[in-house]
Amino acid sequence: MSKKNTAAASLLLATAVALSACGGNNDGNNAAPSGSSAASGNPAPSGSGSAAPSGKMEEITVTFPMISTVIPQMPAIEAAINKISQAKINTTVKLKAISSGEWVQQTNLMFTSNETMDLMYVSGGLYSSMVAKNQLVALDDLLGQYGDGIKSSVGDDYINVPKIKGAVYAVPSVRDLASSYGVIMRKDLVEKYNIDVNAIKTLDDFGAALKAVKAGEQGFAPLVPPGVNMSFLDGFMTYDNLGDSLGVLPNYDNGLKVVDLYETPEYKELVTKFRQWYQDGYILKDASTNKTSTFELLRSGKGFAYFAALKPGMAEQEGKAAGTEVVAKELTPVIARTGTVTGAMWGIPVNSKHRESAMKFLNLMYSDKDIVNLLDWGIEGEHYAKVDGKDGVIKYPDGVDAASTTYNMPLGWMFGNQFLSYTMEGGDADIWNKMDAFNKSAQHSKAMGFAFDATPVKTEFAAVSNVVTQYKLPLETGSVDPDKVLPEFIAKLKSAGIDKIVAEKQKQLDEWAKANPAP
Amino acid sequence: MATIAHRKKRRSLRRFVPLYLMLVPGLAYLVLNNYLPLFGLSIAFKNIDYSKGIWGSDWIGFDNFEYLFKTSDALLITRNTLLYNAVFIVLGLGLAIAVAILLNEIKNRFASRLYQSVIILPFLISIILVSYLVYAMLSTDTGFFNKTLLPALGIEPIAWYTEPKYWPYILTFVHLWKGVGYNCIVFLAAIIGIDGEYYEAARLDGASKWLQIRKITIPMITPVIIMLMLLAIGRIFYADFGLFYQVPLNSGALFETTNVIDTYVFRGLMQLGDIGMSSAAGFYQSVVGFVLVLISNSIVRKINKENALF
Repeated sequence: MSKKNTAAASLLLATAVALSACGGNNDGNNAAPSGSSAASGNPAPSGSGSAAPSGKMEEITVTFPMISTVIPQMPAIEAAINKISQAKINTTVKLKAISSGEWVQQTNLMFTSNETMDLMYVSGGLYSSMVAKNQLVALDDLLGQYGDGIKSSVGDDYINVPKIKGAVYAVPSVRDLASSYGVIMRKDLVEKYNIDVNAIKTLDDFGAALKAVKAGEQGFAPLVPPGVNMSFLDGFMTYDNLGDSLGVLPNYDNGLKVVDLYETPEYKELVTKFRQWYQDGYILKDASTNKTSTFELLRSGKGFAYFAALKPGMAEQEGKAAGTEVVAKELTPVIARTGTVTGAMWGIPVNSKHRESAMKFLNLMYSDKDIVNLLDWGIEGEHYAKVDGKDGVIKYPDGVDAASTTYNMPLGWMFGNQFLSYTMEGGDADIWNKMDAFNKSAQHSKAMGFAFDATPVKTEFAAVSNVVTQYKLPLETGSVDPDKVLPEFIAKLKSAGIDKIVAEKQKQLDEWAKANPAP
Repeated sequence: MATIAHRKKRRSLRRFVPLYLMLVPGLAYLVLNNYLPLFGLSIAFKNIDYSKGIWGSDWIGFDNFEYLFKTSDALLITRNTLLYNAVFIVLGLGLAIAVAILLNEIKNRFASRLYQSVIILPFLISIILVSYLVYAMLSTDTGFFNKTLLPALGIEPIAWYTEPKYWPYILTFVHLWKGVGYNCIVFLAAIIGIDGEYYEAARLDGASKWLQIRKITIPMITPVIIMLMLLAIGRIFYADFGLFYQVPLNSGALFETTNVIDTYVFRGLMQLGDIGMSSAAGFYQSVVGFVLVLISNSIVRKINKENALF
């Protein structure tokens, strides 16, 4: 071998090693999170940058997820918020948005590298595992001292729902805290085929509507999935999923007896019905792998209806997003369960060194109208203008519209108390009263307040999750024959350990029921 | 005698000082970026408790590894990962070498550059876009295959995304199409480095093109082939996540032939978000890769010492 070749080979080797090292860092299950990459996200806040008033002023960091993290208006909003919070609680805030796609990974890194976080968004799906890993601080004492605004706006019914082992680690934002499941249909087609929306009370009634549309319209299947990677049952739930649908409570009660959803006769009946619809051509052919958004399908005339969790103002919201008018019809009663309440919450991470200030600021997010609206709508006169004579109604300033506004934050449901938020002109000005009534009217699942900690069965949980991803979408969109596939699914769940998960869940639920006797 | 040799060694050492100094930044980078994080491997053996920190968390032995082995899918994902990667290594390298040799034979500089660019283009396309390209071909209702190609051949449309049996071929094709350009550049560089005199001599002796390729080109680039192969074997337990997750559109019906270790771990931990378990998966993959590299290297060394990596 010539010298030249050896040299070339070793150079190649060096590059290849470097490349494979980079590749390793990208594949998501990198063994060791390096602290530097997490820290480079944001320069450390300098404590006393602005002119501080007398007394000890504290700066807290508020971390939350967002679809786009680049918002040029953020510093201005922050300054306006600080003006209020400095005067009221002698605290300034630093808003830190993290791309929602990277939320889990980023926040995990921030926890491991002990980065400054004082207040953070907590999503219900991660809540119990965050508590199990001791990432959050128990809030009961802080709430008692500084959280009156939070307690009164969330209400006694719901403030204790996130309680785990006797302590509250996060508070739900004030928004729709319950849901009823039903269908959303395109208004033009409903009118064209004279469908009596109010007469639709069961799935079979709905099936008849689908049939009418299918018979009259060419070139598309009327029923589309509720979203990308979602099945019909994600938009139509008749049971308390107890967090993850692995072990559920049928009819929100079932005498607190946990069962495997996929073995229930109800499940079989539902997927069999969907299969029939699929064969009749009511359902999008590639529903199980569809990557086109529901709104896009409706807008382009490739769909008529979908299942969804409903709340007041839903038809308006969805119609706006889809670009075509829609009507909504409930098929199930309004029910609150742990998941609907804990969906969006706020907590104080263990990293926080300013826990009291964080709680005081959180209290403002639930009680101070100005702060809520700064977060939701931006700065008055710049991003919105008040409508004369109508309290709480706003419009875009002259020459600005929804498309050209420089501050667009459709996250009102996240930032504390949404009921303090202004409503946009043309929308329902009474929406928050309706929402409040909706929350208060909701029936409560018998297991509302129970949160499952999967840590004791995590081996089985990982295995079962894989089996569920494999079968759920094809079955629950009617794409495969349940007579053949459902028994296979159940058998595989069993061998992956679903029974152990159900048993563990039952055990935890029994303990919970003992500690929280029904009133 | 001994002192002279000693002095000689000292002198040559001093001569190399600047070279060692030049090594320092690279070495420092390597230590900081690749070796320090190795301590994080301990996460795989711990039950992480954030109030105690990484070091303070409890050791739990091999509990985090359990989910990789104790399931009905363990065998399937191991089989898929190994077989796919074995096929990718053999076909990928073979095809890349063939293309590199062909490219080297093109004497028109412009044409050669053009082909090179065209061949490497897929490597630069994001896997998400690739998955949509594949979808445009295979979509049940509107795809090119079902709409145009199969009817023209008189074949019934196929529900590609629910039929696992086609996917080994589809995935292999996509992988080769995407990766061949990159590997071929490496081989092309090695081929260009071969001294032209060998070919001249062979031509004078009347050797055919085919003979030249077999007797000169292939033997001359064997070290590169072996090196790339050993590196690929080191990563045989890592699957290309994008290829196996995005391209089949995460379709459950296809898991039998598309679920590999990386996608299994991802799907299993989506809800749990347990960094201990994900670290365990990464650790396990690295260990297996490391052992395989050691074994294959020692085999290479047995056959031809000069070609071994170490």
